[in-house]
Amino acid sequence: MTQLAVEALDVAYGDFQVLWSAELEMQAGEIVAVLGPNGAGKSTLVNTISGLLRPRSGTITFEGERIDGMPAYRAAGEGIAHVLERRRLFPFLTVRDNVLLGAHNPRARPHREQTLARLEALLPLLKARRTQLAHTLSGGEQQMVAIARGLMARPKLLMIDEPFLGLAPRMVQEIGALVRRIRDEQGISVLFIEQNVELSLRLADRGVVLESGRTVLSAPSAELLRSAEVKRIFLGDVAL
Amino acid sequence: MKTAAGAVAFFAIAGLAPLVVGDAFLLDSLVLILIWGCAAGAWNIAGGYAGQISLGHSAFFGLGAYAAALCGVRWNISPWYGVAIGAALAMGAGTVIGFLANRLRGPYFVIATIAVSQVLLLGAARWRGFTAGSEGIPVPFRPGFWTLGIPDKRIWVWLVLALALLVYLAQVYLERSRRGFQLAAVREDEDAALSLGVAARRLKVVAIAVSAAFTAVCGALWAQYVGFVDPLYVFSVDLSVRFALAAIIGGLGTALGPFLGSVLVTTVETWLRAQFGGLGSHLIGLYLILYGIALIVMVRFAPQGIVGWLRHR
Amino acid sequence: MSLLRVRGVTKRFGGITANRGITFDVAAGELVGIIGPNGAGKSTLFECISGFYRPDDGAVELDGTRLTRMSPDRVCRLGVARTFQKLRPFQGLTVIENVMVGAFTRIHDVRHAREQAHEWLRRVGLAEKANAHARTLSTGQRKRLELARALATQPRLLLLDEVTGGVDQRSIPGLVELVRELHAGGLTLLVIEHNMRVVTAVAQRIIALHMGEVIADGAPGAVSRDPKVVEAYLGQAYVA
Repeated sequence: MTQLAVEALDVAYGDFQVLWSAELEMQAGEIVAVLGPNGAGKSTLVNTISGLLRPRSGTITFEGERIDGMPAYRAAGEGIAHVLERRRLFPFLTVRDNVLLGAHNPRARPHREQTLARLEALLPLLKARRTQLAHTLSGGEQQMVAIARGLMARPKLLMIDEPFLGLAPRMVQEIGALVRRIRDEQGISVLFIEQNVELSLRLADRGVVLESGRTVLSAPSAELLRSAEVKRIFLGDVAL
Repeated sequence: MKTAAGAVAFFAIAGLAPLVVGDAFLLDSLVLILIWGCAAGAWNIAGGYAGQISLGHSAFFGLGAYAAALCGVRWNISPWYGVAIGAALAMGAGTVIGFLANRLRGPYFVIATIAVSQVLLLGAARWRGFTAGSEGIPVPFRPGFWTLGIPDKRIWVWLVLALALLVYLAQVYLERSRRGFQLAAVREDEDAALSLGVAARRLKVVAIAVSAAFTAVCGALWAQYVGFVDPLYVFSVDLSVRFALAAIIGGLGTALGPFLGSVLVTTVETWLRAQFGGLGSHLIGLYLILYGIALIVMVRFAPQGIVGWLRHR
Repeated sequence: MSLLRVRGVTKRFGGITANRGITFDVAAGELVGIIGPNGAGKSTLFECISGFYRPDDGAVELDGTRLTRMSPDRVCRLGVARTFQKLRPFQGLTVIENVMVGAFTRIHDVRHAREQAHEWLRRVGLAEKANAHARTLSTGQRKRLELARALATQPRLLLLDEVTGGVDQRSIPGLVELVRELHAGGLTLLVIEHNMRVVTAVAQRIIALHMGEVIADGAPGAVSRDPKVVEAYLGQAYVA
């Protein structure tokens, strides 16, 4: 069943329109990558789904309910967690405090300790670095903590903006594996934005490609990998 | 142009007033309005036109005041030399502050300007051998134009009016000239101005130095008029705030604004003094409350100051 | 004859090397496109050329004069103008006044500067907006204003940073045409662009950056097919 449906979405900053009738569809339990050249509107799309931005027109439906225009803190309560670009941990709070803050919304708060215990089993790093200040962690470690913080909200859909940004290859592998486990073990759907096309398509089930604010491709990863159309979108008309 | 007419009206009224008004108190108020207007206008050159908000301009005012007073008291020379020396010293101090403006942003710059004025205050108050310390310097009254000992208040009005005209025209120049446009660009967005070939750093320093010089001249004339230089007053933060306030309330970055603002601020202050008498510390507190309210009202209803409000009616 | 010579420009920020050994020449009258994925170092390169950043290593020369270590305003007076990716109009000034600031680099007389400014506004199609306040302009109009302002400094080399970024599709051909006209008039241009269609349409030559280094330099067709470029944007899998 369709878990998330974005239809005909127009989003603008003042008179500066970024998304033009953008579309996206996700099934429960899928891993979907949102790709596209810079300025295509990927972050804007995800920010609008999580409620950080209001669309000018169009609809966003999550598990049958309209969530477009809903403020971000309520979308979190509905089951959507958003891990922001560049992690955005609270630098002077400990790992534990950062993670616990993820369970702030009323749906997740009663189960805080339980969720934390489960996450610590999934990510031993959380327990080991419990009292360490967030800004002292490496990029990859911060990314894991940020994802854990997102998971504390007990989401049904986890959205990550650029999970691999600035990470070493080894870390990229680990984060990729973590994303897989989140979906495989807990059935959480994952939507992520990435610059690295090949990496994303190897991790995701499906890819959605945006170009200049429009959805131009949506297909299983296998199809998009090596696709000439993808090449054209990123590198222009090869045939001159 | 509306404000040109306003300026003509303002200067005409101020110029003709001494011929019509005989009351010493009113003439005295007019002299003070004009002096504070000049000081606010001088501040406006740095704060309004160059966008360098300073709360340390009393440093320059005090330098001018002391230069004039010391010339008369210590060296027995005409206080007009004091005007020139004060202006020169102020330009030097202004250049230092300009240097700071290129290193510090926003609130840090403001704090640095306050610091400079307070350092001078402490220096003047402690240096008993030179400045008679915190007791201040009574300025000797020697009759004559060359010694700036002028008993007739009407002459004072015209003298300060001449300075006011100069300050006004300097500001108008900044609105119309090439340097003025470049300065406006620096004020709006320094990096964008740099990318267009504007020597932003140099312009800022020059604007502050010119502003400083004019402020010092105000200080020197004021010292001669009032007859007493008290370091705790001439270098005070309170005074710096008044210059800025008059300019902001009157219309930041407009040529007539500082003078209109001074009319308001000086009138209020004179009224307060008449009501409560003396310069007790409680009175200073009252000033600040009223100034604060005036600023809030201004920002809410007329953010471009009196001039802006008049323009849009 | 080389108008611009960039030799081994290197710029570091803490642990990140934004530009590494960048070397290329631009001949007078050329229009060179600069492309590269996000974070490749394109904007940093512009900052180094225009004098806002001081390179840690290497040199930039304009017609034999060393630009490195010069303040940005001196660089402009020597003949290098630029636009900014995040538009920076002088909000409190009118459109014509904005352009006059640029004109004042070469012209001292106010009336003459105003005339020239009008001329530039006519060139970019903003003549009717001359007395409007800059803050009332739309994004596309602001782009044109920024262009007119930079052109008023009568540059020999113009650096355009994402001139079509954030502009709606309908306005792009107009802007592209304007850039073409400027080039046809003899101006040398360096253009950063993410929109591959725009770049391949106007540039005679493209330089591709990736992770701070030049990975390709040549004709548009050749560059967009260059395996290194394909890999940088998409990944190994796409290299044909």
